[in-house]
Amino acid sequence: MPDGMIAPISPPRIAPLAPSRRIVASNAPHGIVPWLAPLALLAIWEAFARFGGLPPHILPAPSKVLTTAAKLIASGQLLQDLGVSLMRASLGFAIGGSIGFALGTAVGFSRLAEAVLDRSIQMIRAIPFLAVLPLVIVWLGIGEAAKIFLVSLGVAFPIYINTVLGIRQVDPKLLELGRVTGLSNRQLIRHIVLPGALPSILAGVRYALATAWLALVVAETIAANSGIGFMAMDAREFLRTDVIVLAIVIYAGIGVLADSIARFLERWLLAWHANYAHGSGRS
Amino acid sequence: MSAAVTIERLTRTYGERVVIDDLDLMIQRGEFTALLGESGCGKTTLLRAIAGLDPVDGGQIARSGRPAVVFQEHRLLPWYSLWRNVALGLPDETGKPLAEAALGEVGLGDRLEEWPRNLSGGQAQRVALARALVQQPHLLLLDEPFASLDALTRIRMHGLVKQLVARYQPGVLLVTHDVDEAIALANRALIMRDGHIVAEYIVSRDANASRAHPDAERLREVLLEQLGVPAFA
Repeated sequence: MPDGMIAPISPPRIAPLAPSRRIVASNAPHGIVPWLAPLALLAIWEAFARFGGLPPHILPAPSKVLTTAAKLIASGQLLQDLGVSLMRASLGFAIGGSIGFALGTAVGFSRLAEAVLDRSIQMIRAIPFLAVLPLVIVWLGIGEAAKIFLVSLGVAFPIYINTVLGIRQVDPKLLELGRVTGLSNRQLIRHIVLPGALPSILAGVRYALATAWLALVVAETIAANSGIGFMAMDAREFLRTDVIVLAIVIYAGIGVLADSIARFLERWLLAWHANYAHGSGRS
Repeated sequence: MSAAVTIERLTRTYGERVVIDDLDLMIQRGEFTALLGESGCGKTTLLRAIAGLDPVDGGQIARSGRPAVVFQEHRLLPWYSLWRNVALGLPDETGKPLAEAALGEVGLGDRLEEWPRNLSGGQAQRVALARALVQQPHLLLLDEPFASLDALTRIRMHGLVKQLVARYQPGVLLVTHDVDEAIALANRALIMRDGHIVAEYIVSRDANASRAHPDAERLREVLLEQLGVPAFA
């Protein structure tokens, strides 16, 4: 080729890539496969209960639990107990959550509040909250107040800690930006601090939901005269294992439901956050 | 022309170290000043003092209104869409139309509802520019705003900044390491060393327009020498 001549380089020939099967397979949902093992377990359980000599007072057949559930729903007792339990959980969550959030914001924003409050809160937090149950029964008896108190206690700490943490972790560069933009303190909190703390606060909410549920199970099982836990303990007296198993399943179901609600909140409120957004962002 | 900022006898110390030493500087509205200097010479400290982000130990800074700042990082709020980012601090009623117009000016008018995380570095910096200009500042402070962009994006940003500054006529203080950037954008270039402004050069329009113009070449050599990097060492 003569000097000084710039010739276009012919593009290399690239064979079109065959669509990869592996990629397609890994993207496709597995469908029913993950459910096979649990279903098989249920079937084995059912078989043992019916033909394998597993006595019903040890473990009833799943079908028996199902029919018991239908009966209890029909009589209205199940829904009533479920309602009572849910009411306790949500009331306790609301009270404990508000207290935890209020204290967390105070301590997160104010060094003075931190100096005054944080040590005491951390000391109380060191107590496993279930350990105070006997004391709570002495103070409040086995009425509603005791259960709601215990749930609140379990909820307040995770919310408190995550609120403080979230506020402290807000990017100082964004706060600086807020200041040069001329935001007032209130606007700084509204536009920068609280949204910045939200991922941490929601993580606290999710953890607290689990704690609330645990607190309720314990409180209802030990001292109650209504609710799902009471239903189970009452059934124990009559060796009604079908009702006990049903109560356990309901607790599990509501635990899963609470977690889904928390996940939904995260996906909805943190849509801007790469870790929580599913699929691509809006455009 | 009126002064966007007037600085008299400004002093700033960190412990024993004097970072800004008895410094005077005036920037007029419509004037584009580039501040060059080696790392640690005090140029970012000066910009932060003018922005009101850091306290000063002596002297006076008289600003005309609140300056707007564009930082090296875009500092967009990840939880707000682009238009909300630009409208930050504006009154609710007027914020959205102003933000839309400003985003349109930086070429992102069709992405008002986008999250910042979906932007490239250059796009994010354009939003940061829109957020600064929507405030209609008399003084625009640019703290190495293009330093983390790739070379091609940086050249495009230079064109955009020139255009927007010509339209809004703020006084501009650009802190930069990049001699070519200073020559392309500024009307005057200041060299800062040990807390003082030690030299001042006027940048001709010809030098702004073409980096190959003799004015630009001569100034580049002089500035590099001032910064301790002679062209033919």
